[in-house]
Amino acid sequence: MSAPLETTPSDAAAAKKARISLQENAIGFYTLWKREMVRYLKDPLDTIAPPILSVVLFMLIFGLALGARLGEVEGVPYIQFMLPGLLLMSVILNSFYNPAYSVFQSRWQGNVFDFLSSPLSYTQMATAIIAAGVCRGLIVGAIVLGAAVLLTDLPFVHPPLVVLELLLVSVAFAGFGCVVGLWTKGWDGVNAVSIFLLDPLVMLGGVFYSLEMLEGVPVLEALTRWNPFTYLTGAFRYGVLGTSDVSPEPGLAMSALLALGMTLWAVVLFRRGYHLKS
Amino acid sequence: MRTEEPIRASERAIAFEGLRKTYVGPKGRRVEAVRGLTLTIRRGEFFGLLGPNGAGKTTTIGVIAGLVKPTGGRALVFGMDAVRDYRRVHKLVGVMPQEEALDSWFLNVREILIYNAGYFGIPPREARRRADALLRRFDLWDKRKSQVNELSGGMKRRLMLAKALIHDPEILILDEPTAGADVALRRQLWTLMRELNAQGKTVLLTTHYLEEAEELCGRVAILDRGELVAVGPPEELTKRVGGDVVELELDALPSALGSDKLKALAAKSGAALQDGRLVLPGTLEDPKVLEILSELARSGVKIRAIHARRSRLEDVFVELTKGLKS
Repeated sequence: MSAPLETTPSDAAAAKKARISLQENAIGFYTLWKREMVRYLKDPLDTIAPPILSVVLFMLIFGLALGARLGEVEGVPYIQFMLPGLLLMSVILNSFYNPAYSVFQSRWQGNVFDFLSSPLSYTQMATAIIAAGVCRGLIVGAIVLGAAVLLTDLPFVHPPLVVLELLLVSVAFAGFGCVVGLWTKGWDGVNAVSIFLLDPLVMLGGVFYSLEMLEGVPVLEALTRWNPFTYLTGAFRYGVLGTSDVSPEPGLAMSALLALGMTLWAVVLFRRGYHLKS
Repeated sequence: MRTEEPIRASERAIAFEGLRKTYVGPKGRRVEAVRGLTLTIRRGEFFGLLGPNGAGKTTTIGVIAGLVKPTGGRALVFGMDAVRDYRRVHKLVGVMPQEEALDSWFLNVREILIYNAGYFGIPPREARRRADALLRRFDLWDKRKSQVNELSGGMKRRLMLAKALIHDPEILILDEPTAGADVALRRQLWTLMRELNAQGKTVLLTTHYLEEAEELCGRVAILDRGELVAVGPPEELTKRVGGDVVELELDALPSALGSDKLKALAAKSGAALQDGRLVLPGTLEDPKVLEILSELARSGVKIRAIHARRSRLEDVFVELTKGLKS
C-alpha cells in the first residue's frame, strides 16, 4: 500500500463539511425508524389486523369456549391464566416479523442501498430497525390487551415488571428478526424460522398450560421445562397476575440477556455487512 | 499506455490506492475483480471509468458507496478513507446505482426523496423544499404522488439521479446512468450531468458507451479485468493509439480472417474487430493496410466499403481491452 496522503487545507474543509452533528444523527435515526413504522402502518389490514384476529380467536376458543370447562389454573380462571401468555406471544411474533420481513425486503428490492450509502452508522441502522420492531410488537400487544380486558379482568399486580418484561422481550425478538432478515436468502427463510422455531417454542412455552397440568406427560413436561419461553412467559404472567408456575427472576434475566445479545448480534452483522455488502 | 500525470494533493477528490477486491465464489473459486487500482480524480472533474462488462467498474465505485468491502488498498475521498470513515465520506458523495434501488411499494416519488434526505440528517422542512425543487428540475413534479411502478424507465432514472442529489453532494458517482436509455433520455441525462459538473460537482461516471465518455468526460480511465490499462483525456488517448484508422466492412466476419497469413497480418498490424467491422490502424497509403487489403482480395473476401477516418476512443478501448488477440 502506498504511503498515507497528507491532508491538505481543501481536504480539511471537506472534512469539516462532512461532520455529522448530533441533530443530523437524530434525524437520520428517526427517519429510518419512521420508514419502518410507516411500512407497516400504511397497510394495517395486512400487517396489524391478521395477528390480532388470530389472537382474538385464540381468546374466544380457548379462553371462553373451552376455558370454562378447565376451571382454575394456578388459582385463577383459565382465561385469566392464558391471556398474559397470549399477549406476550403476539408481542414476540410481531416484534420478530417486522424487522425480519423489512430487512429482507430491503435487500431483495435493493433499497438497502439507501441506508448503506447514507451517513447512518451501522449501529443506527440496526437499532432504528429494532426500535420499529419493538413499536409494532407493543402496538399489537396494546390492541390485544384492549380486547383482553373486554373479556376478563387482568389485575396487573406488578406493573413495572410487566412493562420491563414486555420491553425486553420485544427488543430481543426484534433483534432476532433483524438477524433473520439478514441471514435469509428468501421469503421462505423468515417463514421457516417462524414455523419451525418460534411457533413451537411459543406453543410449548406455557402460553396455554401450566407445568402442573403436564404431570404424567413427561415428554411435554421436559420440553416445556427446558424451553426458555416458559420462563419469559412465567415472568410476564407473574407481573400481570401475581402468580406463576415459575419464579419471575430467571425469565427476567433471560429476557435481559436475550435483548442485549440479539441487539449486539444484529449490530455486529450490520457492521460486517453480512449479506449486505459484497 | 497506462500513464497518469501527477495530481497535486490539493486537487484530489477521489484517490484509489492499490485497491483490490477478490470475490470468493461457489466452491471457493476466487475472482479478482479489482487488481491494485491506483487512480486519482480531481476536484470538479468529469471523469469516466470505462471498461467492458466485468472490468471492475461497479466494484470500484461500490467501495465508495459502502456496498463493497475491499480486500486490499484503499479508496480516499477528500483524504478520508471510504471504509474507516464511511459516514463522512457518504455525506459528501451522491451515488446513482446501475440497478433500480427505489423504496417502491409504500412510498410515493416525493416521499422517496424526503426519506432519503432524512437519512442524510436533513430536517423535514428543508427535505421537503429540496425534494420539491428536484422534482421540478427533473420534470417529475406531476408524478410526485405516484408510486414507482407508475413511472416510465426514464422517469425512474431521473428519480434515481434526484435521489443522489438530495443532500447536495460534492461528488456525484453515476454507474451506467444511461444504460438501456433511449436517445432522447440519454441526451436529457447528459445535459443534467453537464449542468451538475458546471456547478462544481466532481462527476465520476462509469459507462460502456464510449461516445458518452468522449462527449462528457475531461479524462477517462480504461479498466480491463480489474486493472487500469489507460488514463488520460480522450483526445490524448486516441492520439497515443494512432491518429488514423481504416475501417473495412466485409461480407463475412470473422471467417474472412480464416487464413493463417491473414491472421498473422492482422495481428501484426494491430487490427481489431469492432461491431462486425475490421479496423486497421493507419492510412490507405500504409503498406501494412495495403498488404491486408490485397490478402483479403486474394482470399476472395468481398469488401463492401472502406472508410478512412481519425481514430476514436472506441478504437483505443477495443485495442486495450480485447482486439483480435482475445
